[in-house]
Amino acid sequence: MEDTGRAPTPDDHDPVPIFGTWRRIYAAVVVCAVLVMGLVALFSSWPY
Amino acid sequence: MDRLDWAVLAAYMVAIVAFGVWAGRGNQRIDEFFLAGRRMRWWAVGLSVMATQISAITFVGTTGQAYTDGMRFLVFYFGLPFAMVVLCVTVVPFFYRARVFTAYEYLEKRFDLKTRTLTSLLFLFGRGLSVGVTLYAPSLVLSVILGWSETTTILLMGGSTIAYVIYGGNRSVIWTDVVQMAIIWFGIFLCFGVAIAQLPAHFGLRDALALAHTTGRLRIMDPSPSLTAPYTLWSGLVGGFFIMLSYFGCDQSQVQRYLAGSSLTQSRLSLLFNAFLKVPMQFLILLTGVLVFVFYHFHTPPLLWNVVEMRKLESAAPPELPGVRARYEAALAARREAAESFAQGGRPAGAAAYLAANQEVDAARRQAIALVEGLNGGKRYNDTNYIFPSYVLANLPAGLAGLVIAVIFAAAMSTLSGEFNSLATATMIDFYKRFVRPAASDADDLLVSRILTALWGGFAVLVALQAGRFGSAIETVNRFGSYVYGPILGIFALAVLAPGASARGAFWGGIAGEAVVCWLVLRSPVHFLWYTLIGAAAVFAIGLVISAALRAEAA
Repeated sequence: MEDTGRAPTPDDHDPVPIFGTWRRIYAAVVVCAVLVMGLVALFSSWPY
Repeated sequence: MDRLDWAVLAAYMVAIVAFGVWAGRGNQRIDEFFLAGRRMRWWAVGLSVMATQISAITFVGTTGQAYTDGMRFLVFYFGLPFAMVVLCVTVVPFFYRARVFTAYEYLEKRFDLKTRTLTSLLFLFGRGLSVGVTLYAPSLVLSVILGWSETTTILLMGGSTIAYVIYGGNRSVIWTDVVQMAIIWFGIFLCFGVAIAQLPAHFGLRDALALAHTTGRLRIMDPSPSLTAPYTLWSGLVGGFFIMLSYFGCDQSQVQRYLAGSSLTQSRLSLLFNAFLKVPMQFLILLTGVLVFVFYHFHTPPLLWNVVEMRKLESAAPPELPGVRARYEAALAARREAAESFAQGGRPAGAAAYLAANQEVDAARRQAIALVEGLNGGKRYNDTNYIFPSYVLANLPAGLAGLVIAVIFAAAMSTLSGEFNSLATATMIDFYKRFVRPAASDADDLLVSRILTALWGGFAVLVALQAGRFGSAIETVNRFGSYVYGPILGIFALAVLAPGASARGAFWGGIAGEAVVCWLVLRSPVHFLWYTLIGAAAVFAIGLVISAALRAEAA
């Protein structure tokens, strides 16, 4: 039995907390990850 | 350890087993036993995902690694937040809506039975072999630190975990993980705070960081494009991204945690919770290791961190030992003096003198290590995992030291519980209920599920009890996950991203991809962080080519 591999229709009606949409949450995660990496780079090269 | 420490450790062990049994009461069906009735909230699942991922060796090993080598290991987690987003968009909705028990069950719906069976077997092979090491490695460290036999620590840690997982299944796993993760977080902040507080009054945090920076221990971002160098920025971002995709997206020990979410939203939020917190948490753990390194500039560190090996060396009393010890003590005194003058405004001129003194300490220690290795017939000696527990026992106040040892137990048990539960689930759902008894009663299914949990737990204990005999093979087995993650990820990528991929393409692509990984392991110097990416890419490409060829032939 093979299906098409396409994403099924969304059937989850729980509200998306704080950010309102999944797209905004994902964007927040990516921005936060980049920010953390930037801070780590700063920490790593700071002239103590 | 002080009596109060023993009391804290004993209280933890008794309380966690009792809580696990209480939290897991009332299972009537296997969906309750394996998926906690799909009723869990995101924060509980998120903490469980985090607890399953952080093993005891991650906790004591990375602090030790930061002490000896620095914080480079942090890059390993850089790909994790991006992997979580990709998983939330792709496989999590598929798994959730397919109402599956195992990730591999979905592959039968998408491809066929043999692809599901192959992938589940790869998981059982990789995870089954490493679960014994997951138990053995912290047991060995704790046995040396606590002065117990290895058998005692293995039976205590393995037996208590098996007890509550057999009884309560995934609900026990998740709720005990929540408690254990709370203890682990508390322990991390405690150790970090104590390490700062124990720096000398005239030597501030900035001085400590400056000292660590001089030795290169704060150098995290290595932009080298090398495929063989360990922990470069790119191996962490790209290689780590694919490892995390495979681990969180295709490894049943993680998938089973978020399948227990009460809705797709809850499952997704549990992963995103980890995306936000994992890198900062690992940063704190590694920085604690670095601060312990600075701490031992002002307190005398042992010549060797493994007390058993040190005693053995002292009993053998090789003629070189007094000289090595004298050299070590003189080097420590010189390093302390250099560190003081470095902090009192001697930068950057004092840096060279300090580095020379630090290298002399390392050289003296290398001599001692050579003596131990000579005594053990050339067997490699590494005491990185003993540094942090030794520091805790020697320098934390009574009660708190016991608590941090309990944290190490908690980290080990939270990983083991998830692994026992997931191994039993894959065996039950992908094999027993698929091939042996598809239509048994709930009571029978529950009984067999508990028996399988006991068997996998017993298997882990047996492997751990024998692991000392395998010697260096253990290291290889410990990396087994990276040998099978690539092909598993490649098969799932074909399932989700390639609508044209066929069942035969996925199956033979998986076999060919595993052959490619075997070749990498046996014949190439490529660092293991890249195995998952290369293995997955091979499966994906070969699977697509085979699928296209079969389509062309049929046309």
